[in-house]
Amino acid sequence: MLWNVTTTLLGGLATTVEIFFLTLLFALPLGLIIAFGTMTKFTPIRWLCNALVWVVRGTPLMLQLIGFFYIPGILGLHIWPGGDPGRMMATVVAFSLNYACYFSVIYRGGIQGVPIGQREAGEVLGMTKSQIFFKITLMQMIKRIVPPMSNEIITLVKDTSLARIIAVYELTFTGFSFMKSAGLVWPLFYTGVFYLLFVGILTIFFNYLERKLDYFR
Amino acid sequence: MTVLEAKHIEKHFGSVRVLEDISFSLEEGQVLAIIGSSGSGKTTLLRCLNFLETPDKGTITVKDELLFDAADPATQRESEIRRKRLHFGLVFQDFNLFPQYTALQNVTLARELMAKTEKTGESLEDIRAEGIELLTMMGLKDRMSNYPHQLSGGQKQRVAIARALAMKPSILCFDEPTSALDPELTGEVLKVIRSLADQDRTMIIVTHEMEFARDVADKVMFMDGGVVVEEGPPSEVFGNPKHPRTRQFLDKFSG
Repeated sequence: MLWNVTTTLLGGLATTVEIFFLTLLFALPLGLIIAFGTMTKFTPIRWLCNALVWVVRGTPLMLQLIGFFYIPGILGLHIWPGGDPGRMMATVVAFSLNYACYFSVIYRGGIQGVPIGQREAGEVLGMTKSQIFFKITLMQMIKRIVPPMSNEIITLVKDTSLARIIAVYELTFTGFSFMKSAGLVWPLFYTGVFYLLFVGILTIFFNYLERKLDYFR
Repeated sequence: MTVLEAKHIEKHFGSVRVLEDISFSLEEGQVLAIIGSSGSGKTTLLRCLNFLETPDKGTITVKDELLFDAADPATQRESEIRRKRLHFGLVFQDFNLFPQYTALQNVTLARELMAKTEKTGESLEDIRAEGIELLTMMGLKDRMSNYPHQLSGGQKQRVAIARALAMKPSILCFDEPTSALDPELTGEVLKVIRSLADQDRTMIIVTHEMEFARDVADKVMFMDGGVVVEEGPPSEVFGNPKHPRTRQFLDKFSG
């Protein structure tokens, strides 16, 4: 029985891992774009980005998930393919936008934390703005944001469980299904072990990353 | 030959006038020392020359090329400023070395990027060799692979000087290069600057080291409240100051 439950839950874990990595893939760069948007001197863009961050951080992720999945259909725009792929796509879009907004604030803090003298030193050496960002600011920003980002990314692991609200068969939903189908409660709590292992691996990775970046101050 | 000519430079921060009608020129190989109390506008003047601040009025001409004219927006195009500011090098008070790069990488980074974007045809080996040479000249041969946090303040500042020199500026500017250093480390940095003066480099040095300024400068400018109060050879400004404000300022140093 334990073996049966374990293999079924591993199937759910695969979906959880998929949501996790796809969200990071899109949210990490998108967050940087939003961060620049909230820092630009161009007022309309700045307001737009600030409004976006406000709305996304100001409403529950679960509500956003439901909104992204159902509202297009209600409006007659059938942008999601049918069945599971459509549910998965809506999930990844909602998660990516949500996490990008949180990341953008962390990025902004990281960028603004780099002393202004660093940028000026690059400027007087004749570097372009993009050279200054990619060759000077970025690395110092990354070093600064590893601890808050690790927090946020670990939260993402567990937030993936919200996707069951639109019937995505991720880990928690899979554990839940044993309650309905076989009257078993323990598989649901057993999922906790999987989350713990996943987060454990991430913790080791982030510690490694912090040590790796320890070569400069 | 006149390398630099600044005319009628004026700069406001909001309603505060930081620089008022500053004009001066600099000949090839000359060293100009700018002295004065904090808040007199010395640093702002250097920052204007390096395009870190935009003057509200005035012109800056280097080697007969009009680099900046406050009245002519065409001289203030972002794309050209990058090229123009390379006439100047700037050494900051608090070094501003790039912490994630070694001493040598700090010196070579900008040149390597320049070689890539402008296709100058310089090989990375040549740039590296030149960087090593500069750091050796600074007495940092055995410190090249160290990161900034592993260096003393004096060593950091010498790396910063090498980094500025790597871009081959016509005019090297120092913004209180020893103010962040303890007295022991000040000497080693001043020695390096002195040796650059001996090589006839054109330099502008904002400093509180009066003895050093007197020794090394061909020309001294005393600034107070955003204006140049007195200007002349060090023997005159230090030996026989004409303006009472200059005398008052210098008296504080002679104790």
